[in-house]
Amino acid sequence: MEPLMGMGVLALMGAAATIAGTTEDLESDVGSQSNPNSQVQLAPQMMYPHRIYNKAISGEPPSNALICAIGGTVASVLMTASLSVIFAIAIGALVATAVHGTYCITAYMGRTASQKRFRQPIYLDILRSHTPVMMGYAFITTFCILVVSYIMVAVLAHPFPLTLLAFIWGITVGAIGSSTGDVHYGAEREFQNVEFGSGLNAANSGNIVRKAESGLRNGIDNSWFCAKFGGPVTGLAFGMTVFLSGWVTAVFNPATSLTMGWLSVAAGVILVLLMIIWNRKIEVAARKAFGPYKEEEEVAA
Amino acid sequence: MSAGGAGGEATGGIPQNKLIALGALGGLAGAYGGHFLSVASPAFAFIGALGAICAIVWGSAAVRRVASYGLGTGVPSIGMMALGMGVVASMFGLAVGGIAGPIVAFITAAIIGFVIGVLANKVLGMGIPIMEQSMTEIAGAGALTIIGLSVAMTGTFMFDAVLETVVATGYIAVIFIAGGMAILHPFNANLGPDETQDRTLMTAVEKGAIAMVVAGIVATVADGASAVPSILIGVFIWYIAFSKFVKLVNRDAYKVLGTGLLPTEEELE
Repeated sequence: MEPLMGMGVLALMGAAATIAGTTEDLESDVGSQSNPNSQVQLAPQMMYPHRIYNKAISGEPPSNALICAIGGTVASVLMTASLSVIFAIAIGALVATAVHGTYCITAYMGRTASQKRFRQPIYLDILRSHTPVMMGYAFITTFCILVVSYIMVAVLAHPFPLTLLAFIWGITVGAIGSSTGDVHYGAEREFQNVEFGSGLNAANSGNIVRKAESGLRNGIDNSWFCAKFGGPVTGLAFGMTVFLSGWVTAVFNPATSLTMGWLSVAAGVILVLLMIIWNRKIEVAARKAFGPYKEEEEVAA
Repeated sequence: MSAGGAGGEATGGIPQNKLIALGALGGLAGAYGGHFLSVASPAFAFIGALGAICAIVWGSAAVRRVASYGLGTGVPSIGMMALGMGVVASMFGLAVGGIAGPIVAFITAAIIGFVIGVLANKVLGMGIPIMEQSMTEIAGAGALTIIGLSVAMTGTFMFDAVLETVVATGYIAVIFIAGGMAILHPFNANLGPDETQDRTLMTAVEKGAIAMVVAGIVATVADGASAVPSILIGVFIWYIAFSKFVKLVNRDAYKVLGTGLLPTEEELE
């Protein structure tokens, strides 16, 4: 492939991955999945009943792996039946979305019903309003992941089948969403009522913010907040992962010579080192600028 | 998830031994029934998926028992491990076993599961009394789930056909995750002090039916299995199980409200 074409393909994959990362994180914020979930689950026990969607479909990596693998399976079957690629991917994502909806509903209803003794009611309007939002986000995520996987198979001639690639990218997007974006919700949004950077004191466990700017806070309010920073930053992280991991071999193509192969490895190592240094600088700068707590408290946090 | 898991033995409902019998015998019967009847007509491949649903119900009951000891965030991990052990055991069993493949796979899985259970308790010192038994059960259920869904996809458990239709095409990934989630999700979705066994197992049936439908979709491209019975029966089972689940939620929940404010202070006292 022409180097310029290769870069174009990579850019397309990076763009699709950025969208997938963003919607993946926002989907998990609407339903309070993974990291923030423990506090949402704990709140009623601490006498803080709430109107926040409590959805745990295991962690984000397995749940996204599930929707992406189902989407990939359906798309791959339809492509075998020689349906057009766009339709196959769209229908695959649609089936995956439907499955995701059932997983969301069973998680919310089941978990809330199991909190009977803490007097946490099931609110059906929460179920009806939030589930379609999550399904919508899940559709976009699955669609974009399938686009990335399909490009890898059809254009870059990756040896893995579509379903397997979709499965692997599903785990990856879930893992990145879980580690990058959820902090924004779990550490910030849920505890806006305590001083920034104070960490989670044991006494505050379960005392999540339950009242919104107007009325009672719900999961859609949380995704509104997270769409400002947590979601996009997850998208950037995932987009960069997809783009940069492909970029090193697009620039230094190992197929041309062994030297190029080693150069691509070296470029990858240099990129990782740069990221580590950059991240460390951001962390130190943020601590200096915002961190109110003192040395000894830092250890406790 | 620290709030989940009562920290003690799970109680109530159907005794575990009955569920073991259902899962092991049902799973094997499904695999063999689907395999032999598919020779007569590919339409019978769906029996494999019925066996898988039996195994999934058993697996989720075993997860429920072991995870009730306060495993919390470990619930998803244990489900993934079940299918991890299951994939290794079922590939080994089908490769060497021939017609005895599912049985060899089942026994292999049980051995792997037992060893992992012993390691978890003795080496890692988790100290969960039923760890060894539960890991054995979970691994066995995982292997039978994989074989059952493979039969529903291909109409046979002969290694060559499974390798060609299920593994090389990558559909093994969807078996892995749809089967694994069906085993781990029921307890995870119903986690909490007022969890009940019938509700958890009904979720398992519902999630198993989804795996069955997906297996049916894959069967459209396989020669030995027909898709329509698996999809239709899967959707039917899903509908029944989902309706029952919603009924059980209505039975168990504190209140099911159309909308409303939070419970008042007095109500919480």
